[in-house]
Amino acid sequence: MIITKKRDFQELLDNIRDYKSFFLIGCSECASLCGTGGENEVKELAEALRAEGKEVTGGIVAKTGCQVLGTKKELKAYKDAVNSAECILVMSCGAGTQSAVELFGDKPVYPTNDSLFLGNMTRFQVFDERCSMCGDCILDKTGGICPITTCPKGLLNGPCGGMKDGRCEVSPDIPCAWVRIYERMKKLDKLDELAESVIEVKDWSTAQSPRALSTREKKEK
Amino acid sequence: MSFREALESGRFVVTAEVGPPKGADVEEMVHHIELLKGKVDALNFTDNQSAVMRMNSLAGCAIAVQHGVEPILQMTCRDRNRIGLQSDLLGAHALGVKNVLCMTGDHVSAGDHKGAKPVYDVESVQLLGIVESLNNGRDMSGNELKGATDFFPGGVVTPEADPIEPQLMKFEKKIRAGARFFQTQAVYDIEKFKEFMKHARKFPVKVLAGLVVLKSAGMANFLNNFVPGIKVPQELIDELKAAGKGKGLDAGMSICARHIRQLKEEGICDGVHIMAIGMEDKVPEIMERAGL
Repeated sequence: MIITKKRDFQELLDNIRDYKSFFLIGCSECASLCGTGGENEVKELAEALRAEGKEVTGGIVAKTGCQVLGTKKELKAYKDAVNSAECILVMSCGAGTQSAVELFGDKPVYPTNDSLFLGNMTRFQVFDERCSMCGDCILDKTGGICPITTCPKGLLNGPCGGMKDGRCEVSPDIPCAWVRIYERMKKLDKLDELAESVIEVKDWSTAQSPRALSTREKKEK
Repeated sequence: MSFREALESGRFVVTAEVGPPKGADVEEMVHHIELLKGKVDALNFTDNQSAVMRMNSLAGCAIAVQHGVEPILQMTCRDRNRIGLQSDLLGAHALGVKNVLCMTGDHVSAGDHKGAKPVYDVESVQLLGIVESLNNGRDMSGNELKGATDFFPGGVVTPEADPIEPQLMKFEKKIRAGARFFQTQAVYDIEKFKEFMKHARKFPVKVLAGLVVLKSAGMANFLNNFVPGIKVPQELIDELKAAGKGKGLDAGMSICARHIRQLKEEGICDGVHIMAIGMEDKVPEIMERAGL
């Protein structure tokens, strides 16, 4: 899921200082699990804004905020509340914020969260990053552990000289990705496979923003 | 005799390390180059070591060439993408630099520009492959070059990495990618180093043992606690302590000289790489004490 973190409230107030009335859009997917855009957070933000003398005309927890047409449909029921708000606040990720920008061409839209990374939830509201969405997966070669993401240097062929007792030079909190990969491949009896193949220089063009994908044309043909 | 010829001849070679200045003033670096001229087979120039921004390695190497000293260009993957690395390699070659040491590079978080975006577009094994490609007259994309390079490529290895197996796997990958010589992370336990060399001797590569000159017991403890892959045995720390106040460096130089002598006399490896880290002035005396 996309991991988000609430932005500083004072910074938000500074962003919206010129506006008086707001409509809030949360998201039931990632932002809800991150505690940044679910039912409770929408309610809390509405209260906090009112305490600052602002008007909140309404709010919604969109099912999937990054799904533009679906969100548009859901918002129809809130037409009056949306129309009477000067400004839209989006409590999801940057993708959700930009869905709203597309839907509200004539209204200012501000994010209440920072978008951090594609994360795994390991415990309730504890997240770590395991995939960078580079566009050309190498997990087939590395025992299912991504060194591009879990090694701070993104090394492809083994640990650097900074590994100490199986930990990373960047922080002892980070286990060395290549020690993990090595141990896993050893367990799977695939060390030969790991040792013999040099992973070639990566083609980063697959990670070049802005990326887009449509599988529609293929189907229509 | 060039560094490469010396290694290939089987002579015990000596290299040392010079860090380019943090600033535009090259006087001290030139002093160190002149001091070590004729004494060492080649001089390494570090590449923004510890991710601390300094003058680049290439300028240091070019100045060494001007002064008649053979340089080894240390090249990390931290600060340049594949275009920058290849371009700098071609430029280095044009300036008379023939030895290149391919390294990953310390992470920016270790240095003095912690907010920098680290590059690592390619890494050390792949960089060795790139050097091989340039030597064969093609860039890494396969485009033909107007003039091939003639680099002597090397890599680094940490004989005391813990765990050692993934490190040895990478060591072998570097050899397959084209590394012809290795300069190791600092070693202090010669018996343990012999174990590593037993493994390394299975491959057609030359190995120079890395030696960092100890200045005090405090420095030894610091290396043990904070520098990955360095293990100073307790008996050496005791030896430094026993030397007494103000005598640590002298004892450290003796330890270094003793290790050089042993490595050479027992034919354990092919040479030594002395990293004096700010004590470059002492390298000639260490070599003298080692009987070189």
